[in-house]
Amino acid sequence: MVMTKKRILKISLIVIGSALLIGGSVAYYMFNMPHRDVQKAKTDYTLKSSDIVNEYLSNADLANEKYLDSEGDSKIIEVTGTIYEISEDFINNKVLILKSVADKAGVSCTFSTETNSNTSKLKIGDEVTVKGVIRSGASFDSDLGMYEDVIMEKCDVVSNK
Amino acid sequence: MKKRTVTSAILGIVSMTLFAFAPALNKLTSIKTHIKFFSTTTAENIEAHNYKSVSTIDPKTGDVVFSVPMQSFEFENALMQKHYNSPKFLDTKKFPKAKLIAKFTNLNEVNFEKDGTYSTHVKGTLELHGKTNSITEKATITVTGTTIKVNSKFKITLADYDVAFEKGKPSTNIAKTVEVTVEAEYKSEN
Repeated sequence: MVMTKKRILKISLIVIGSALLIGGSVAYYMFNMPHRDVQKAKTDYTLKSSDIVNEYLSNADLANEKYLDSEGDSKIIEVTGTIYEISEDFINNKVLILKSVADKAGVSCTFSTETNSNTSKLKIGDEVTVKGVIRSGASFDSDLGMYEDVIMEKCDVVSNK
Repeated sequence: MKKRTVTSAILGIVSMTLFAFAPALNKLTSIKTHIKFFSTTTAENIEAHNYKSVSTIDPKTGDVVFSVPMQSFEFENALMQKHYNSPKFLDTKKFPKAKLIAKFTNLNEVNFEKDGTYSTHVKGTLELHGKTNSITEKATITVTGTTIKVNSKFKITLADYDVAFEKGKPSTNIAKTVEVTVEAEYKSEN
């Protein structure tokens, strides 16, 4: 079979056209990439509030290595603990602090517009399991003069005993 | 005459005792905070919001501290958020927190127990991306009953914190100097 000029041109056009289309779609997707859906994503670790607090207090570097991601897609965790405090942030998202009385720090969980209503029946003292993304760990901060909590965001309630 | 002396002595002791035990304002703590980054260039405006910082104010000394979890900054664009966190830019895995340690330098002009709006000067250091620089900024303290609010807006130069965008899209789309807006709400127990 002899490749005519016309045929070569046709194939080239198809190849270039598809490359542009694929490249363009990838670039478009990358730029408009949606945020990770934390609640739909797989849970990486399931643990008690005391466990993660103490893991951080005993070795923050190791814990950061384990839980934090270098592009901010840090581990998705399910934490069970006792509600110590309930409040709201500046954009009216619910904030639950899970902390046992014996612990030096707790886990501060911020909910979202979609999940805030799931906290409506919760009260201080309830035991609850919360799923969310970890943002930073617990530590004693000598400048603040206090222990800082583990921080979780995009949270939702998993179960409520 | 003698009676009067005794009475005034008693009054004196009572008032001194009351004064000594007058409730001094305790350290104020806030977990209700908002920090915004805003960058503007001809190419685009970029902003990110953080609602998870912790702050304390010591009304006796004027010390003010903010601890900022860097991964809590949310961008509208997910890819931009990945870039911001990555080792090329803020490297938030290595430097998970930024910290402001400062003092209200005109503390004598602020009454944390009297309603009002007070203009203050803040002087201290900001640690970001593992680099510390001194800062001198203005802030407003608003006292309404037992609620104390602090607001401030200032600019930081990214290169001062070794955050540099030498080439590619970020170098043209991110401003060299970004505006930081801070607000925090504290509750006094008195």
